[in-house]
Amino acid sequence: MSQTAVIHEQMAVPQPKQHGKPGGFLAHTNIFTGLIGGVVAAGVTYFIGDKLVPWGTQNADFSQVGLNALVFCTFVAWVIGFMAGIGAFAGPIRWALGHDLTHDDAEYMAGKGQGRMKYWKYTTDHKVVGIQYLVMALVLFGFGGFFAMLIRTELGATWREVFDPNFYNSLIGTHGIVMIIAMIIVVAGPLGNFIMPLMIGARDMAFPRLNALSFWLLFAAVPPLVLNLVMGGIRDGWTVYQPLGTQAPIGMIGYQVCIITFAFSTGIAGVNLITTIVTMRARGMTWARTPIFIIGTLAAAIMGLVWFPMFQYAQLLAASDKVIGTSFYIPQSGGSVWLYENLFWLLGHPEVYVIVVPATAGILELMVVFLRKPLFSYKMAVAGFAGVVGISAVVWVHHMYMTGFAPQAGYPFMLSTELISIPFGFLVLVMLGTLWRGKAWNRLPMMAVYAVIFDKIIGGITGVYLSDVPVDQYMHGSMFVVAHFHYMLMGAGLFAAMGVIVYWFPKMTGRMFDERIGKIGFWTAFLAFQVTFLSMFVAGLQGMPRRVLQFDNAFDISNWISTIGAYCIGIGMLIFLYAVITSWRNGKVAPSNPWGAKTLEWQTETPVPLENFPVLPVVTSDPYGYGIPDPYLKVEEELDQDDNETVGAR
Amino acid sequence: MSAQTSPALYPTTGEPVAVNARRNRLGLWLCIISDATGVVALLIAYMYLWSLNVNNAWAPKGKNHWALDWPFWAIVAGTVLGTICMWWGVKGIAKGHTGRLMAGALLSSLIILVAFVGQIIQLSTFPFGPGDGAYASATFWLAIGTAIHLSLLTFLTTAIVGRTRAGRITQENHSHARLVAMWMTYVCVAALLGAIFTTVMKESPNSNAPTFGTFQN
Repeated sequence: MSQTAVIHEQMAVPQPKQHGKPGGFLAHTNIFTGLIGGVVAAGVTYFIGDKLVPWGTQNADFSQVGLNALVFCTFVAWVIGFMAGIGAFAGPIRWALGHDLTHDDAEYMAGKGQGRMKYWKYTTDHKVVGIQYLVMALVLFGFGGFFAMLIRTELGATWREVFDPNFYNSLIGTHGIVMIIAMIIVVAGPLGNFIMPLMIGARDMAFPRLNALSFWLLFAAVPPLVLNLVMGGIRDGWTVYQPLGTQAPIGMIGYQVCIITFAFSTGIAGVNLITTIVTMRARGMTWARTPIFIIGTLAAAIMGLVWFPMFQYAQLLAASDKVIGTSFYIPQSGGSVWLYENLFWLLGHPEVYVIVVPATAGILELMVVFLRKPLFSYKMAVAGFAGVVGISAVVWVHHMYMTGFAPQAGYPFMLSTELISIPFGFLVLVMLGTLWRGKAWNRLPMMAVYAVIFDKIIGGITGVYLSDVPVDQYMHGSMFVVAHFHYMLMGAGLFAAMGVIVYWFPKMTGRMFDERIGKIGFWTAFLAFQVTFLSMFVAGLQGMPRRVLQFDNAFDISNWISTIGAYCIGIGMLIFLYAVITSWRNGKVAPSNPWGAKTLEWQTETPVPLENFPVLPVVTSDPYGYGIPDPYLKVEEELDQDDNETVGAR
Repeated sequence: MSAQTSPALYPTTGEPVAVNARRNRLGLWLCIISDATGVVALLIAYMYLWSLNVNNAWAPKGKNHWALDWPFWAIVAGTVLGTICMWWGVKGIAKGHTGRLMAGALLSSLIILVAFVGQIIQLSTFPFGPGDGAYASATFWLAIGTAIHLSLLTFLTTAIVGRTRAGRITQENHSHARLVAMWMTYVCVAALLGAIFTTVMKESPNSNAPTFGTFQN
């Protein structure tokens, strides 16, 4: 120990030897060195690989093992090269050499004194990572939304084919997986990283370097996915059922490398979120005093951590079938396509809750603030989240009723799927109970509450229909299913995300959100959403299958309506995006606590200082102590009063 | 409180190292859970394909087509031995014997390296290729999984040697060595499960194999 540093103005702490300038190797790296590293690694791998196993190499079955292996190795090299170039390996190497970080190193890595450049570097500060996630989510929504417009253009132009069928199928698959990734990160990424540590009164996440790692892995995962469009595409929907995946062009390898990398990112983020929430809550913040958004984030992180590896391995084995010729999913050689479907849906269904649960928790959080009353039955909300986490593990087979896999399993899984509507019903009841007799402060975040309740009821009830084996026999693979999951993911997930992002926008950006323009965008998108997807329910009930670009004239009208609606969603979202950008650049400077909220993130100044709080807070009361202490008691008091008055009158 | 009795502090946050160690321990458990789900996915794949025997193509064709058992068990034994050495070193540093951790970690590192090389040799000498049926595919991936685990362990155990040499692991702050030992214990369990599966589940119990289409890669 050669020196000491004063940390948080509290105590002198012995420091390890400072090796070079603070930050070390990371002082020289940024996104551009990462891009150079990735491109060079990919290029070199491609060049050497092509020498060893030329493009045209085929195995005994005439499949192009050379090409598949080459593309796979090139994409993997891109990811490793990018991560090396941005400095992700500096930490483990320093650790192995015993060159531990000093306080100065840690401050440099957290972005101290680097201005806006910190957003382009391997920065560890949770607030920077939160903003990076937010921008990434917006970019992905832009991609996915653009693809959605193209899809609807094809389906709306019923008199002609706009796109080549293969390209159309690729649009469907790419739109699906891009939107799924965007929805997974849109709440848990920006808010789980930026807001959550503030909300629990912590100075940072438990593992700041893992925080940066999880974001940049996500960043590295995206190019292979997007490049699939020029490499034959993902023609098999976002689920990429086998054996279609194995038969697909090389673009499929971009999808597989993306998912494998993204699963690492999600797993690391899950470890970080859970550890932070469990071990770093402020003194006095017991579980009963923990804000409900934190509970929801914890629930989503647990599901992601446990189930994402199933999805990852499903893709790993699929890539293995393509690249080294294994036969996990090839029946001719003893494989089974049902194996893929089981591994895929073991995550695939919990992933819906990974999306919806934090969004719902965020909505509950802001309801309390805009209704100025305690959450209606906090314990019921927690039970709801716990129930969803538990039951989500035993519902996956409802996606496979019609595949021929274990028909006798259909009814138990029908029961378990219907059971999950009970904990989800708890959450809707908590929302309605909190709304009951509340006097709403109708700002834009509160409007998201109304929108989400409406959408969630429609999405939830249609989900119960689909969980029934007999109904699913008719409905599966139809536009009804498409409308249902859009109601859950977009209607309940995305509109909730819009509400909670507007709510926390002042804390994240230091600016007030322009609600006037934002409301125009929000309601345009919401109403257009109903037009688009209610009409899609009709098409589905009429029997229109999904993932087709040629269909009977009987479905023309509902498709025209859906396409007009979709364009209007696009217009609404662009207006909303305009509000986000202009507010961020030129919005009114936000006070520290514009909503008068009681949770900890609003008790620190805006913009939030590097170490979040000058002194770590101590929690002495529950976060929802607004006005009426308990709505039950208030109602009972009123009833008693009414009874007394009645008795008195007699 | 005198300087001698003050708890050791973590240099970047100023927290007691014990607080940091508890946090790291939870993080490690979560990593183990996540990794274990992946291992379970491989075991499910093995068992599922073994039980189905689709198109009667579970077993690779030809004589002597099963992988030898003893290499799996030898690699498990090596991993267990390396783990015991690491724990021996960790118990030593807990009593203040830095030299014991150094010796334990060094031994562990060498044994794990040998196990890793053994795993690579096993992978390259299987009596079948990865494309020779479902058994071959599943067995290859169980072995690849162990190889990845062992390569990571080689790095981690070597890093413990490096950190001990650099004086970063002390009696007061030896949580990183303990975490590596915990991770090694988990890897032993994962490798053991792989060895049990490949030893016990060979011939498929399904003699009435389902027949599916003739799709080829």
